[in-house]
Amino acid sequence: MTALHQEQFTKAVGNAGEINDLLRRYGVKFGIYKNGEFKEQFFPFDPIPRVIPSQNFAQIEKGLIQRVDALNAFLYDIYHDKKIVRDGIVPEDFIYISKGYLAQCEGVTPKNKIYSHISGIDLVQAKDGEWYILEDNLRIPSGASYPLIARELTRIAAPQAFEENAVVDNRGYAQLLKETMEYANCGGIRAILTPGRFNAAYFEHSYLAEHTDSVLVQNDELFVEDNILYHRTYSGGKTRIGVLYRRIADEYLDPLTFLPESLIGIPNLMEAYRSGNVGIINAPGNGVADDKGIYYFVPKMIRYYLGEEPILKNAPTYLPFYEEDMKYVMDKLEQLVIKDVAEAGGYGVVFGSELSKERLEEFRAEIIAQPRRFIAQEVIDFLDLPIIDNGDTVMRKADLRAFVLSGETTRVWASGLTRFSRNPDSFVVNSSQGGGFKDTWVLSR
Amino acid sequence: MGTISLEHSNRLYWLGRYTERFFTTLKALGDLYDKMLDTQHGYTDYLGCFGLADTYADNAAFLRSFLFDDTNPNSAAYSLERAYDNGIVLREEISTTSLSFLQMAKDTLEKAQNSTNIRLSLLPLEDILYAFWGCINEHIYDDEIRNIIYIGKTVERLDLYMRMKYPYLIVEKEFIRLLKNLNRVPRSTPFRYQTKPLSELVEILGTEADYDRESKRAISSLSRLFEAGEVSV
Repeated sequence: MTALHQEQFTKAVGNAGEINDLLRRYGVKFGIYKNGEFKEQFFPFDPIPRVIPSQNFAQIEKGLIQRVDALNAFLYDIYHDKKIVRDGIVPEDFIYISKGYLAQCEGVTPKNKIYSHISGIDLVQAKDGEWYILEDNLRIPSGASYPLIARELTRIAAPQAFEENAVVDNRGYAQLLKETMEYANCGGIRAILTPGRFNAAYFEHSYLAEHTDSVLVQNDELFVEDNILYHRTYSGGKTRIGVLYRRIADEYLDPLTFLPESLIGIPNLMEAYRSGNVGIINAPGNGVADDKGIYYFVPKMIRYYLGEEPILKNAPTYLPFYEEDMKYVMDKLEQLVIKDVAEAGGYGVVFGSELSKERLEEFRAEIIAQPRRFIAQEVIDFLDLPIIDNGDTVMRKADLRAFVLSGETTRVWASGLTRFSRNPDSFVVNSSQGGGFKDTWVLSR
Repeated sequence: MGTISLEHSNRLYWLGRYTERFFTTLKALGDLYDKMLDTQHGYTDYLGCFGLADTYADNAAFLRSFLFDDTNPNSAAYSLERAYDNGIVLREEISTTSLSFLQMAKDTLEKAQNSTNIRLSLLPLEDILYAFWGCINEHIYDDEIRNIIYIGKTVERLDLYMRMKYPYLIVEKEFIRLLKNLNRVPRSTPFRYQTKPLSELVEILGTEADYDRESKRAISSLSRLFEAGEVSV
């Protein structure tokens, strides 16, 4: 995109204040815990969209479909025959010690063999225009509701932007999600399981429930009887749930199968799931495939399962687990970004260049002691995007979370959540760390 | 959707109650504001209706507390916060659009605190609340959901009207409205009320003389109409 084009889009969208007022009116918030206290904040929105031309998006779309199809094949394989391990493509060290691998899911086949129904794939665009995958999120990726409602409101606040530019309408996400839920439905109503109002993504849970005609539920409204999941109604009745889009982590889902101390789970849910009486979106156990260590192997998975060359590139990644990579990481530590595979949400990310000499040496020792715990990546010089900051246009780091929905076919939502850092010196874009968001426009030409 | 949990039925009921409490409190404070233009401590009768002592230095301190102090359980701000707390967990039932009016009300009330003409700056709240109720009518497809909210709304209105010693004719109208709302809930899934307090209410609110004499007992019966034990699975 040329600077001239970018300027045109900037002008077209108009002023941030009006759109942010509307976002405020519609309660577009996220929760955050600071010093042990829950606070609800409005999610800062920047009105200048990320713009992806049609041809460029077509390529991204193909690459994402390919990647998610391979990841779904991997998940089926890992919980069944484990051919990819037996064939030596992925070392078993990376499977069984992964926190995301759940032995309780061995041999369980979700309806239509789909594990990751909603995949949130994080990408960045480098300055040369090339897109790189940064991370796969196959458990409970969040964020789709924000560009969805922002688009609706931007069309009200700045209609001329859409008259002047051929932007693909992204407002079909709820329908896509509904179809995806229906494809996983084992007979019953659709429900979205939330841990409650004090969850960071509660706005999203309730907004998606509203727009997919699903019931928003908490665990104490649900029970399992004869391996069937029911919603308990206030008048003493029960309604069968056929598909549960859960927004709580695997380990809290069922206290009889996973963490016994979970107060937000549903006893015997896993039995209902194993019996094929309820679909769970996304399937429990997906964490084994979006582990930061497994990320390294995704291009190999694509070749192994699909017999294709990967269309989208991984960021150049090194696994200290391998001797050769360890040597490289030790030599170049101050130039690399190191990620703790057990962390998420922008935590556990360390830039070697930002460490003091002393801390660098301590960190080096930590990597040597626990090589499986870390991955190292080249710092991609990614494209900065313009944002409006106190009336001025400034450039900031931004990524893109694309949403891929797997139902009867695998489809990519023609939009996505563009998150940006508000701090000029930071690469970290997560909302939990003060980042904002933009809409993502896919052009129809 | 056609399935409402016990938790949500209570939330719907309290959404109706707190939204109405906010609205009626606001209107009553508007009337008091007018009275206080001519009288210092012109709010003491109002406090008396709720059994509260006058601990306020002057009219302005009273107004500030009863309008904006969300730690004062009798304030408009407190009721609005509770209405929002209930509404926010009912988005898929009441719709984002309905909920947006509660957010707008919160923002308007907050802005009014710094206004030089508080009464004028509060006027849009009335419009916002009417729009909220219009939205509830428009966006809620399920009669059962709408009626539970309306039951909460009329219970609250009746309670406040009786506490504020509204004339019999107005109270009677609200009572009839409550009975209609109770009848509207489908029989197969009733939002269950206790029959004994209801018959007491029918008896007391049957005539003006009984109302004048026994309004305290009527308020007590109303408070027992939906005791937790009765809304059970």
